[in-house]
Amino acid sequence: MSHSHEDHERTMSTDVRTTRRLSNVRQRSLISGGLAVAAMVGLSSCATNAPQDTWQPAGENAQKIHDLQWPVFATAGVVGIIVLTFIGIIIFRFRDKGQPIPDQSHGKAWLEYLFIAIPAVILTAIAIPTVGVVMALAETDDTECIINVTGQQWWWEYDYEVEPDGTICGFAPSAGEASPIITSGQVVIPAGTKVLMRGTSRDVIHSYWIPRLNGKKDMVPGRVHYLRLQSDTPGIYAGQCTEFCGLSHANMRMETVVLAPADFQRWLDNELEPYQSPEEGTLAKEGEATFITQCSRCHQVNGLVDDKGTDDTGDDTLVVSYPDQFVFSGAAPNLTNLMGRNTFAGATWDLLTPECRDDVWGASPEEFGEKYLAGVSDECLNEIDLREWLRNSPAKKPMYADAELLEPTDGKTRGMPYLALSEDQIDQLIAYLLERK
Amino acid sequence: MFTTGSKLLLGSTVAALVGTLLYGILAGGIMGTVGLVSATAALGAFSAIVIFTRDANVASDDIDEFSSAAAGADRPGASMWPLALGLAAATITLGLVTYTAIFMLGMVLLIAGTAEWMLQAWSERASSDAAHNREVRGRLAYTAEMPAAAAIGLGIIIYAFSRVMLGVPSKASTIVAFSVVAAVVLLAGAIVGSNRRISAPKLTGVFAIAGVALVSGGAVAGLNGEREIEEHHTTAYYAAEGKCSAEEISADEHASQTVAGKASQAAEIILSEAGLTYTYPGVDQVRSGSIQLPRSSAVNLLFRNETGEPRRLVAEMAPEVEGSPAQVCTQLVEEGGVQLLTLIYPVPSFDPALEANGGYAFTVPGVDDARLEVVVP
Repeated sequence: MSHSHEDHERTMSTDVRTTRRLSNVRQRSLISGGLAVAAMVGLSSCATNAPQDTWQPAGENAQKIHDLQWPVFATAGVVGIIVLTFIGIIIFRFRDKGQPIPDQSHGKAWLEYLFIAIPAVILTAIAIPTVGVVMALAETDDTECIINVTGQQWWWEYDYEVEPDGTICGFAPSAGEASPIITSGQVVIPAGTKVLMRGTSRDVIHSYWIPRLNGKKDMVPGRVHYLRLQSDTPGIYAGQCTEFCGLSHANMRMETVVLAPADFQRWLDNELEPYQSPEEGTLAKEGEATFITQCSRCHQVNGLVDDKGTDDTGDDTLVVSYPDQFVFSGAAPNLTNLMGRNTFAGATWDLLTPECRDDVWGASPEEFGEKYLAGVSDECLNEIDLREWLRNSPAKKPMYADAELLEPTDGKTRGMPYLALSEDQIDQLIAYLLERK
Repeated sequence: MFTTGSKLLLGSTVAALVGTLLYGILAGGIMGTVGLVSATAALGAFSAIVIFTRDANVASDDIDEFSSAAAGADRPGASMWPLALGLAAATITLGLVTYTAIFMLGMVLLIAGTAEWMLQAWSERASSDAAHNREVRGRLAYTAEMPAAAAIGLGIIIYAFSRVMLGVPSKASTIVAFSVVAAVVLLAGAIVGSNRRISAPKLTGVFAIAGVALVSGGAVAGLNGEREIEEHHTTAYYAAEGKCSAEEISADEHASQTVAGKASQAAEIILSEAGLTYTYPGVDQVRSGSIQLPRSSAVNLLFRNETGEPRRLVAEMAPEVEGSPAQVCTQLVEEGGVQLLTLIYPVPSFDPALEANGGYAFTVPGVDDARLEVVVP
């Protein structure tokens, strides 16, 4: 009998030890897990390469938002810490120790008034500057430049308004008359200029957000919404569509390029340069013909002519794209000066190699304009991504490129379809596109 | 062992077998032989079943089995549902060769008839009390039958009434709908409500007569057809005809002169003594000469008339492009009035195909110098 009792005692103590060990293991796991999460959060806030960081404002409106969010977050943080501390103290101090349940009271008027008054005062204190900032962000009367921005699956198009005085963003072309500039992916603005982005969408709701320059603005089909972009510091400011807009929403990016006034003038003059056809007998010239047969149905290159026919006046026929017949949104990026910008496919991939990209992105404000305006050279071309894109774009960026898969589009594609280009055609197109700057 | 039924079936089986042998030996036709062999086999099978079940008869000395024997059970009650199913079959057949709608009606009838027949058969076996069985059936069936009957009845009333309304002249129909019928319904309701001594049969009779009158009226009106309804063209019709002129057209009748404040316009185009100018919302600058608008995107434009004459804004579009209208125009806008115009420009303004038409522009018929070029990049 006693032998059996000893066995039982031994078993019991083994069980207790096992339970304690498991409890210790669980505790250690919880502590190390919590520390890992805290370290991750803490270290992520130390990231230096954070192009979409709202805590690094680079524009007037972003600064206003930043100046507002600091006190709001600080207040919320203090309130949060106070509340959590009280909860912690109460949980610990009044935990169940077998004590009798204390007397229950129902209501303490002065405490309830206090708990209403404190949040009311805090919210009022936050509301007054918030309303002021919201009003200030909506200010458009002092606009100095108008750029129309249109979202579609999954890229952004920009067209620059020619002002009644013949200028674009207050800059007159050095030669000739101004005509509307149309581009995509990257919008170029002059430093220190209050730019009004007039935004809409061609298909579904998108949202335009360059965190370092301003807040978000939805772009809605059939409506025109307004957003101010302004920065005094030359550089590239990255952004991202922030309204889920379909399969490649995550690949719908945009960049705002701020150039010093003199550099903007150079950019403007370059954009308004007449079309230069590649030299006869070159690979680029073959690429031009390939572009006309394969790409120009959707992509416009301003001034491109087809020398296989003439119009009524005897001039070569101007090649005009008709994306509305092939693409659901009715538009495809204008490639007139593709290599003048340094991204493609909805600013998803760089046209520059990583080294050249770092050189441009990391340039000082003084050097930035020169480096950006150099465009994409033969040496700096990110040929790998561009080739992959031309070889099979739907494989690189998720798109409903097969019209058969999406009935409501009436046979039109969403995004660029697979064109079955040969390697020779891809070589020709790259040679041709490299001259588009 | 052998009952009357089994004797009859056995005889038929033997006759079929003899016929099979004779036909097979003498005539030798394969199809006939197969048919007769099938008949012999089927009759043989029926004979075996009947012999096995003894025609459902119970021996006279087996008293215990009396109550459970099939022959001892009550006969099923009279039912209209087999008739309905026959009608459904005929309707389905008719629908298969005529219209889908008739086929669908037949299917509905078939499903409803089958459900009702099954329900009736089930309820009749619920107990030996016929009254209780009817109550059981009612509890289950009325939940579906009543709403369905009400919906069908209402549908018939509404359809018949609408035929009458579409048959009589529009003014008369307004008077009939809102005065005569409303007054009759009110009067009938007042009489029924105030006089509780009206018997149910009387009320039923009155409503039945009213119902028959309504359905008859609807049938007559339906056969006579609808009255001639004048077609009201929109501005799109006149634009397609190239008739967006300074003259008043039927599309101008009751033209709205205001636009909701929530309308989101790309620009406001203003006609004043100075001609056509425009402003962008949020930009305090009056512009003229040309306006830049996006391609392949729906654009809302506000047209405000600040002259003393009623005027309309005409957008010259791209008739050379498939699917694009030649013109789009507003209705006539009174002094101080505004209207919204929604446009989609399919091709850029530098498309040579547009040159023949003079390109995109806004004009105002009757005001020669009012012109605004449209630039679509």
